[in-house]
Amino acid sequence: MNRTDIIVVGAGPAGMSAAIEAAKRGAHVTVFDENSRPGGQLFKQIHKFFGSKEHHAKIRGFVIGEELMEEAARLGVDVRLDSTVIGLYQDKEVVVREGEEVSHHKADAIVIATGAAENMVTFEGWTLPGVIGAGAAQTMMNLHGVRPGERVLMLGTGNVGLVVSYQLKQAGCDVVALVDAAPRVGGYGVHAAKVARTGVPFYLSHTIKRAEGTDHVTGVTIAQVDSHFQFVPGTEKHFDVDTICVAVGLSPMSQLFKMDGCKVVDDRKKGGQVPVVDDLGETSTPGIFAAGDVSGIEEASSAMIEGRIAGLAAAEYLGFIDKDEMDKAVVANDAALDGLRQGMFAPKNRGKLVTTTEEGIPVSQSLLEHGYVADDEIARFPGVTRRVGIHPVIECTQNIPCNPCQDACPKHCIKVGDHITQLPAVEANSACIGCGMCVASCPGQAIFLVDEKDEEGFADVTLPYEFLPVPAKGERGVALGRDGSPVCEAEVVSVRQTRAFDHTALLTMRVPADMAMRARFFRAGSAGAAANETSAAAATAAAE
Amino acid sequence: MGTRFDEHPILGTTERGRLVSFTYDGKTLQGYEGEPVAVALSAAGVKVHRYTAKRHEPRGIFCAIGRCTDCVMVVDGVPNVRTCMTPLVEGMRVQTQYGATATPFDDIVTADEKGGTR
Repeated sequence: MNRTDIIVVGAGPAGMSAAIEAAKRGAHVTVFDENSRPGGQLFKQIHKFFGSKEHHAKIRGFVIGEELMEEAARLGVDVRLDSTVIGLYQDKEVVVREGEEVSHHKADAIVIATGAAENMVTFEGWTLPGVIGAGAAQTMMNLHGVRPGERVLMLGTGNVGLVVSYQLKQAGCDVVALVDAAPRVGGYGVHAAKVARTGVPFYLSHTIKRAEGTDHVTGVTIAQVDSHFQFVPGTEKHFDVDTICVAVGLSPMSQLFKMDGCKVVDDRKKGGQVPVVDDLGETSTPGIFAAGDVSGIEEASSAMIEGRIAGLAAAEYLGFIDKDEMDKAVVANDAALDGLRQGMFAPKNRGKLVTTTEEGIPVSQSLLEHGYVADDEIARFPGVTRRVGIHPVIECTQNIPCNPCQDACPKHCIKVGDHITQLPAVEANSACIGCGMCVASCPGQAIFLVDEKDEEGFADVTLPYEFLPVPAKGERGVALGRDGSPVCEAEVVSVRQTRAFDHTALLTMRVPADMAMRARFFRAGSAGAAANETSAAAATAAAE
Repeated sequence: MGTRFDEHPILGTTERGRLVSFTYDGKTLQGYEGEPVAVALSAAGVKVHRYTAKRHEPRGIFCAIGRCTDCVMVVDGVPNVRTCMTPLVEGMRVQTQYGATATPFDDIVTADEKGGTR
């Protein structure tokens, strides 16, 4: 029997944050994780995180992971990898399997941060090699440098489906379509928009009818579904693909709680079976805490805060700190967590149809149904203003808890306001110097610089670009609209890559003046070639 | 077909271990030491990892994080090894798994004719 003060199960963002907080207060902490690398899914998260400074906003997930690991190591947290917790028994006894050996460990407090597992849907051919989870795609490309396939169809438009579609394109895959049985995009509109503008078509109210192929996927047929999720005859569409990626949600991995006898409930808004916990994450068994996705599916940013709270509570439970000290530390974390749980996508709003923003502006229906804000909808949002000369255009149209743009601008041109979910507004008479910090800082890639030179008859549009190869100055190509279709010819007039932009290149393309508010992406090559490449054109109605 | 890429716009140059040889159903393939066997196979164009016991259906990589067990194969003579979680080692012997063994179903027709499942 091995003894320690606190055992944490799971070395992901929640578990590591709990371990760090408890270790800071003097507790001996052992973390077990079944994987051979720590960090849970953080090291596969290559996008910039949403939120504000306290949520590590605008920092990429894998960088946050590295920071957590360094801090834990500094504090002497014992992280045991390739160690699967296979049992949790009375009096906080944990059974761990390492290779062929099983060992017993005992602690006085336990934090369970086992995370979640991917959900799956079944359809004809769903077991064929080539049908993979979105997490598998992330693992292969972001950890191991291998494309999961060349032509991919994504099922699911939640944040995972949207973010992974974008990552697939970053790894050089062709994403032929994003498909969701729901009538509306499930994830953040900005995540959808950055995929849509590259030319990926969205098929809402559609789902997979069958995966085709004998030994592996060679194609897929999707079809429209009605409001009862029944296929509408004659709406089949076929795509030649070698990979079908499934991103249809996550379920908490809460088995250990049941093993211990902690009270567990089925909560659809939290994603499934979750332990009943109090404000500190403590379960019905005193001294056993839950943090992160295992207690309700949310983002990694909230998992880290829940982890910190659970770590503090465990330290207090064992007497390393008194209640006053814990309360003080928890208050700040509660505020941070509360900030993340605001806005249209807050857990309390899950499943609700939000039709107007907090500012009373009608939500873009095109964004919900097609993945992009339509040209005739964009002007009504407060970040979208026009004037001669350079200025930011912020196409942030949904209330999400995020404000790095406000801090990024050295000239204070951008105002989110006191409430973190408010839509960013561009201040009238502000003195934009075109530095591009806002463009690079926006986790949603929703900010553009538009330099309107009406007298000269053209406009320069600066956009965030995170693909390879980065076009060179002087390169000619086509500008794509928000919907990903070619709108005009364009020439790259500047490419900026600096450390401060953190791998986001700022591409400035010159377009005709009347395209200043329509051109939002650049594709090298001629317009004709681009049109042939668009995946929408490749979709053909399958004769049934 | 999983193609390798060496440069990524965010992650930079892909870091890999030493190039090593291993065998897949008797054929010699190459992969990078320490990467999951499943990744090395994917990069080599292998999609089918096993065939199911009852219906003889193909299975390959599905979750890639050790949960689903769809990618299990016979590795160094041991069946049911999760190839997505097993680091590649030089000289490893990887075989397609049929049911629970490395023997193709065609070679054991008698057992199937008797209605036996494996």
